[in-house]
Amino acid sequence: MKNNKLKRNAMPYLYIAPTVILMAGLLITPIVQVIRYSFYDNAFVKKNPLPVGWLNYQKVLTDPVFWQSVRETIFFVIVSIVGHIVMALIFAHLLNTTMFKQRTKTVARIIYILPWIFTATVISVMWKLFFQPAGVMNYLLGFVGLATKNTEWFSNKDIALYVVTYINLWSGYPFYMISVLAGLQGISPDLYESAAIDGATSFKSFRFITLPQLKPILLSLVMLDFVWTLKTFAIVWTLTAGGPMHATEIISLYIYRTAFMENHFSLASAAAVFLLIVCGIVAVFYTRQQFKIQED
Amino acid sequence: MATVELKHISKVFSNAEKKANKNIPAEATHAVSDFNLKIADKEFVVLVGPSGCGKSTTLRMIAGLEEITDGELYIDDVQVNDMEPKDRDIAMVFQNYALYPHMTVFDNIAFPLKLRKTPKEEIKKRVEEVAQILDITEYLKRKPKKLSGGQRQRVAIGRAIVREPKVLLMDEPLSNLDAKLRNQMRAEIIALRDKINTTFVYVTHDQTEAMTLGDRIVIMKDGFIQQVASPQDAFDHPANIFVAGFIGAPAMNFFPAKLERVGDEYYVQVEKLRVKLADEKCAKLAAKNVASQDITLGVRPSHIRVDQGGDELQGTIEVSEMMGTEVHLHVKHNDNVVVIIVPVAGSYEKYSKYLKHDQKVGFSFDGEACHVFDAEGKNLEA
Repeated sequence: MKNNKLKRNAMPYLYIAPTVILMAGLLITPIVQVIRYSFYDNAFVKKNPLPVGWLNYQKVLTDPVFWQSVRETIFFVIVSIVGHIVMALIFAHLLNTTMFKQRTKTVARIIYILPWIFTATVISVMWKLFFQPAGVMNYLLGFVGLATKNTEWFSNKDIALYVVTYINLWSGYPFYMISVLAGLQGISPDLYESAAIDGATSFKSFRFITLPQLKPILLSLVMLDFVWTLKTFAIVWTLTAGGPMHATEIISLYIYRTAFMENHFSLASAAAVFLLIVCGIVAVFYTRQQFKIQED
Repeated sequence: MATVELKHISKVFSNAEKKANKNIPAEATHAVSDFNLKIADKEFVVLVGPSGCGKSTTLRMIAGLEEITDGELYIDDVQVNDMEPKDRDIAMVFQNYALYPHMTVFDNIAFPLKLRKTPKEEIKKRVEEVAQILDITEYLKRKPKKLSGGQRQRVAIGRAIVREPKVLLMDEPLSNLDAKLRNQMRAEIIALRDKINTTFVYVTHDQTEAMTLGDRIVIMKDGFIQQVASPQDAFDHPANIFVAGFIGAPAMNFFPAKLERVGDEYYVQVEKLRVKLADEKCAKLAAKNVASQDITLGVRPSHIRVDQGGDELQGTIEVSEMMGTEVHLHVKHNDNVVVIIVPVAGSYEKYSKYLKHDQKVGFSFDGEACHVFDAEGKNLEA
């Protein structure tokens, strides 16, 4: 009897055990290791690294390149999030309107989704060709006298970050657009009809019906985008490798360069811990938001 | 307070409209044809008919949610065909309430006032007044999801009446409620009507709702008006077989019969049963010079007597439904089933011998109870 009860109580834990063990092995262990490295001198490189307390953190926090990287990351992340959400709202509305015929909308949907199916390297090669000094961009802008054949989009430290951010916007928006579109299609048309009779203009319908109805989705998207953009690596690395002069070296690239090119694993770990903390805070908000959606 | 006039209104759905709106059935192209109606100020008009008859489309055209293909629509003598819904000063209660799920009950009701930039104190005062009328004051802070169906419907009505619209449109507002609540809300709508001075246009597929609520009812079928009349008039003098069968529950019974004219007197003959029509009916038919002909005879279930005479019609009881004060007999007569209502209040024993399954019964009716329809189904008296 007692044995049976024990078995029954243990059963659910046994079911989730494989996942828990995998998570512990593949996720928790490396995270703990990184935190540990950040308190040692020359971890990974030396055989017996010495504990140095907060020294690595001190070094990172006094590194001007780190702060430059933080500023660039803030710009990159905020512009990407705002851009993604705005693009998603506009394109999703276009795909959801009754103004176009169904076939037009299907074709448009396929075109809109294209950026999503390319890998980061393909996107990089494509845009590098597009933006190279003798590329399409300069050719087109040359017509209206806005650029010369010599405009260096990726080598100019004043504009490289803008270009990289733009490419990140382009490559990422389809996911947000599809999510917003799903949200829009979930809003009952009755609400718009009711609002139209209650006296709402199109803008007020958007303000008072669409936005509040999309709010849970938009909040989730903002938090996901925050974490994903903060971790962006491949696309920026393949476009500029962080250059010129660290001008596009967002935090993930800063960590990569410090660790794998300069072999300062301890410093990189300390910087990574900062990233971990920020992502962790957002993840907590995200989870709470998800619970709230379920409760509502 | 307003009059509503529909002149030769018709609605043809384009293929694009059908694709865009899944609620429009594929076969519905001519949804409404040549609809003419003048609704008086403060009148309660009910559009009633089976699904797909065009009643909701007509209402939505009045609301401005559906484009009018042809014809003219006037509210208070102003043509509003091309006017936006928000400028028509109408309000509408939807079948599935269409409450804003992210707003509290208060905000839902206040929304039309807020859009019209009504001062905050005024909004508060009016929302509270309406909440009191509808008995939803205690729910003002709740979200619609936390309300029952009946409470949601009250909120929807509250939102519609709060800004005192010229015309209040209701699209099957009770059809999502259970039977008991529906009866209760129906009574409340009748009571509400006395409290607010406005013109009502109400759509339903339920003839009981139409009969109990409307000053006049508009019976529709396949996009065409079949009859516009007071409930009593539609019941007593149905314009055609469709109206006769649609209004009244249980539905009217129909028999193939012969109409025979003898001087200014008229007789109907069903099998061996020969009945002289009431004098009033005879006078009407004679005035129209109606000749002897094959007809469809209609008789309401409550007007048929279970009889043991000589020439009465014969049938076999298939089903006997005890309703309390009356019994509904379903009697197999030739290939038809004839429904007969037998009042039994307090004297069930007297009738009990008739009311058994498989029992043979005779039945007949009087000349007052007969409705005569020609081959096209038109009421010959009308």
